[in-house]
Amino acid sequence: MSEILRVEDLKKYFETKKGTLHAVDGVTFTVEAGKTLGIVGESGCGKSTLGRVILHLHERTDGKIVFQGEDISDVSPAKLKALRKDMQIIFQDPYASLNPRMSLGNIIGEPLEIYGMCKSKEEKEKKVREIMDVVGLASRTYYLYPHELDGGRRQRVGIARALILDPKLIVCDEPVSALDVSIQAQILNLMMELQKERGLTYLFITHNLSVVKHISDDITVMYLGQMVEKADSAEIFKHQYHPYTKALISAIPLPKYDAPDNQIILKGEITSPINVTKSCRFAPRCIYAKPECFNTEPQLEEVAPNHFVKCHFVKEINNL
Amino acid sequence: MKKSVTEKKHTMLGEIWRRFKKNRQAVIGLIVLILFILIAVFAPVVAPYGYDDQDASRAMMRPCTDYPFGTDNLGRDVMSRLIYGSRYSLSIGFLAVGISVITGGFLGIIAAYYPKLDNIIMRTMDLFMAIPQMLLAMCIVSALGPNLFNLMLAVGLSSTPKFARVVRASVLSTREQEFVEAARAIGASNTRIILRHIIPNSMAPLIVQATLAMAGAVISASALSFLGFGVAPPMPEWGAMLSAGRKYIRQAPYLTVIPGLAIMAIVYALNVVGDGLRDCLDPRLKK
Repeated sequence: MSEILRVEDLKKYFETKKGTLHAVDGVTFTVEAGKTLGIVGESGCGKSTLGRVILHLHERTDGKIVFQGEDISDVSPAKLKALRKDMQIIFQDPYASLNPRMSLGNIIGEPLEIYGMCKSKEEKEKKVREIMDVVGLASRTYYLYPHELDGGRRQRVGIARALILDPKLIVCDEPVSALDVSIQAQILNLMMELQKERGLTYLFITHNLSVVKHISDDITVMYLGQMVEKADSAEIFKHQYHPYTKALISAIPLPKYDAPDNQIILKGEITSPINVTKSCRFAPRCIYAKPECFNTEPQLEEVAPNHFVKCHFVKEINNL
Repeated sequence: MKKSVTEKKHTMLGEIWRRFKKNRQAVIGLIVLILFILIAVFAPVVAPYGYDDQDASRAMMRPCTDYPFGTDNLGRDVMSRLIYGSRYSLSIGFLAVGISVITGGFLGIIAAYYPKLDNIIMRTMDLFMAIPQMLLAMCIVSALGPNLFNLMLAVGLSSTPKFARVVRASVLSTREQEFVEAARAIGASNTRIILRHIIPNSMAPLIVQATLAMAGAVISASALSFLGFGVAPPMPEWGAMLSAGRKYIRQAPYLTVIPGLAIMAIVYALNVVGDGLRDCLDPRLKK
């Protein structure tokens, strides 16, 4: 398998009145073509920012983005426009991400107009109706407006808009978290089918572990802008080595009546990502934290084949 | 391609009209407004006399069957002058507001969309806002010379800062919406984002502000005419008529009351239409 996207030590800081906010702080990963990388973390850990920085919706502070073997960290506006044909995004909230004043046909067809990919109105309509069929939208909804659809159909519109340019990589920014559980499954299945048919690569950002288990090949866990654990999907659900990942996995509700209650409850709030010090960012909430954790920053190390963990005491905690 | 029966094009406008209809006051206002516009357009047909037909023998007549609103000190029919005057007063209302919408709208959008220009534009607007609107309008008219067009320009430009503020506030909230980011993600240019995504979604407050300001513009124009900065005699602008009639307010109160009532009617109509529009454009009030 060939790599399609590589991110090296990517950083995105926001300057705020209180200081520098480290939204994404040194993230490194590779995604292979046709695979799905799940990025998991709680609200505010920088996972959405990460997706947006890769797409140049936010400009990065430091680091390198390599797409299809080409360094796209700094690109000209013309080059960026060409790149966007290959990299698309599906947004979290299908209510906010569709222009309420445009009909579905115009929303889905807009990319075609921007790239001059349709010579006439008829051609645009034909292409739009084709893609609507692919994502399972009835052709009769062509002239409807977003407010006339339910959440699931709106999200299909968002998917259609992302697909119409035939991209290679799609950043999925919590695409199902605003939907009902029954609709979530439909949309996830649709996305997986599309991936198989079109060889798409997904960067799947979510806070929902059951969803990510369902769809991802590899999983990266983020905490406060940094990666804390990275492994393939099956491995990480079997063995979690980082205390944060352990807590996350233990928090997945089990649909059983007398499920064993061994949930690890994290104490306190996520700490502020503003003006962080050199320490393990998870230390204030970690039940295993030792003085060293507050003074030095751990490095990502490989504890098992292809399984990386960022923790000083990973071996002691897990008896490795 | 065969279209199914349920496939229909229906517009946002139809929906807005359906909601507007429910507000009876606004509908009455709209009818009054349309009536005034029709009278203005067909003034020569509707008016019984010319606006400048003098007849010294019939000066200062009280309202009677020949002259429903009486005659003024030069023996001109007040009703005919009122009818012709609606042309000036209405066009001042519409064009002055048109000028503010275009200038204020442009500045507001640019200020909100390009943060670097925000401070320069909005602080300049604040500077103009510090000057009382009437004084500013008077300065503009005195500098350019009193005539109808300059009057419109003065009234329009003096309320530009208000429009710029309203539009800027609205665009600031629209540009943070996710669909704008979505447009950027599919490679849309700034011009395209502004024209197709920002403007259609931030114009509701502007429309309301415009209808309300139209009432204000009619009053401002009347006030400026009253002070002698507006249209010159013998043109029958309502404010000018009011001003001319005040000398005879003891002998012939109808000379001031009738143009005053006309101004009141149009301002009322514009205000209720503005209120109605604000209500029906706000999706939160949708049932």
